[in-house]
Amino acid sequence: MSRTLVCGIGNPMLKDDRAGIEVAEQIERMNINLDVEIIYGVGFEVNDKIMGYDRVFIIDAAKMGHTAGTILEVGVDDIFHDHLLASSHATTLGSTLKVGYDLFPDEMPGELKIFLIEAEDYFEFTKTCSPAVTVAIQKVVDTIVSYFNQQSSPQPEPMLC
Amino acid sequence: MKKIEINPMTRLEGHGKIAVFLDDNGNVDEAFFQVVEFRGFEKFLQGLPIEEVPRTVSTICGVCRGVHFTAAMKASDGVYGVKPTETARKLREMFFNAHYVEDHAVILYALGFPDFVVGPGAPAGERNVIGLINAVGTEIGREVLRKRGLAVKIFELLGGKPNHPVAALPGGWSKTINEDERKQIEAWSEELVELGQLTVKIFGDVVLNNPGYMELVTGDMYKVPVNYLGSVDANDKIALYDGTQKFVDVNGKETGRFTGIEYIDYISERVLPWTYLKMPYQKKTGWKGIVEGEGTALYSVGPLARFNVASGMDTPLADIEYKKFFDTFGVRPVHNIMGYHWARAIELLNCAEKIRILAKDPSITAQDNRAPLGECTGEGVGIIEAPRGTLIHHYNTDEKGIVTDANIVVATTHNKGPINLAVRKAAKHFIKDGNVDEAILNHVEMAYRPYDLCLGCATHATKPGSSPVKIEIFNSKKEPVQTLKNY
Repeated sequence: MSRTLVCGIGNPMLKDDRAGIEVAEQIERMNINLDVEIIYGVGFEVNDKIMGYDRVFIIDAAKMGHTAGTILEVGVDDIFHDHLLASSHATTLGSTLKVGYDLFPDEMPGELKIFLIEAEDYFEFTKTCSPAVTVAIQKVVDTIVSYFNQQSSPQPEPMLC
Repeated sequence: MKKIEINPMTRLEGHGKIAVFLDDNGNVDEAFFQVVEFRGFEKFLQGLPIEEVPRTVSTICGVCRGVHFTAAMKASDGVYGVKPTETARKLREMFFNAHYVEDHAVILYALGFPDFVVGPGAPAGERNVIGLINAVGTEIGREVLRKRGLAVKIFELLGGKPNHPVAALPGGWSKTINEDERKQIEAWSEELVELGQLTVKIFGDVVLNNPGYMELVTGDMYKVPVNYLGSVDANDKIALYDGTQKFVDVNGKETGRFTGIEYIDYISERVLPWTYLKMPYQKKTGWKGIVEGEGTALYSVGPLARFNVASGMDTPLADIEYKKFFDTFGVRPVHNIMGYHWARAIELLNCAEKIRILAKDPSITAQDNRAPLGECTGEGVGIIEAPRGTLIHHYNTDEKGIVTDANIVVATTHNKGPINLAVRKAAKHFIKDGNVDEAILNHVEMAYRPYDLCLGCATHATKPGSSPVKIEIFNSKKEPVQTLKNY
């Protein structure tokens, strides 16, 4: 049985920065057969949590210049930029994951899906996301659950001729 | 006058800016370290019950979360007039030292070592943790990250969460450990001590055995003579979780000691118009400006400062390395800021040894994890040595323990003045006749990295209307057309 993890990243105190956490919390409340982790940063603790899983969904807020609520599905190489490689404090999700796959290729998940939700405001101290981001959160939840159900449902036996 | 900006600064938390101003001959006239980020936690905390504050302040920063948690927890002891039980103190200290190990490891391997192992003149795209792994080999990289992960496991086991802990109680610690967990932590601690020894060895092999790098470590270009502040125990050894705060001057002479609320008699903070980050100075000396040397009121905190104020370390392996450190420099105090990285490596070993000592103590599994609360005193001050330096959390509350005022003085704030001095000195040394390339700018940036800045928590809310705000307006051609400012 493959193991699946949903990993929400963000600061729970900051408006749209908590988008990833919202997705993770909503899925956790559904009580379906996958694990959920909430992480407040993008340092090596991300790798600590995802290593050992077969399939991982990572959800984080982002500020990339799109319309608020835009959902981007990206790969590790899409968000890895060597000139932004950083430190304990300024490291990026891309560099963390890159280090993980370089050093622990057998332990990192074979299937990794990263969803970025474009934030409108990630400075205000509140536990309520902006309306556009709230809509996006629901879409990401539905996408993950639907994908998980497809992958988990028993495949039909091949017909024997 | 030509202006060179290094912005945003790489490899530090939050947003800062270094502005270097050249004279007509292309030499450095002045350099400033500016902080442009703004968080506002001190205001945000007002109205919270003090027992909720540790969990809340841990979200100030995704890296420094355990230190704010610990300082606020100690302050909550004061608010409720309670001293934690011996078991709670041991569990807190073990948790805190685990946090140190993982934090110092990441700082060194991601921030400090790349400059030396990959080389200060290497392209920026290589001076990072992946460049470091390529240089030292994937086996070492894998081992370092794996062992660092064990420290995180201890942090999580004791704190309740991997990044933002929840176990703080006024006068206690909610998570006790059983014998199996104690044995597990003891086994992990052996590996953490190996990590500490490996880290000290890497610093020795790469830096101490390289005459060119030793020139940077011991040279005047990275030498900032100021006063120092750090915490010591009753034997004058470095005390990270709980101690007496001690000042020494530029000659290493003790100039004062304080604990708790007494900090307000020793430290003042000066507001400057060009940065959000206040600049602390020694109150009894009085503000003397951003100057170094005899008579300056500026002081440093952090690993090097702790080495300078104390007379040793409280674990055997680290104490040997501590003595080697001062034997190598041949002088006390050490003003060479590259010493921060070396001291940090030795502290990592010290903390790993501390975890091992605590884990070997069978009494740590006792269940007396909480002392009865006393009357609400309305005030609490928690002071610890965070990895980056002395951290002060000061809270006033009403009679129900609801926070009415908060003051947080963090390491990067203490170091604000010395960082300015360091950046100015490096800029003057390396930038000559207008010649500036990436390698030279990296040498200037190397002047702040030893302090391991965390600007996310170093900037605080001031009262509405008094924050210095500068707004520059550009036209469609990106030419500045107007500047608005409220100072």
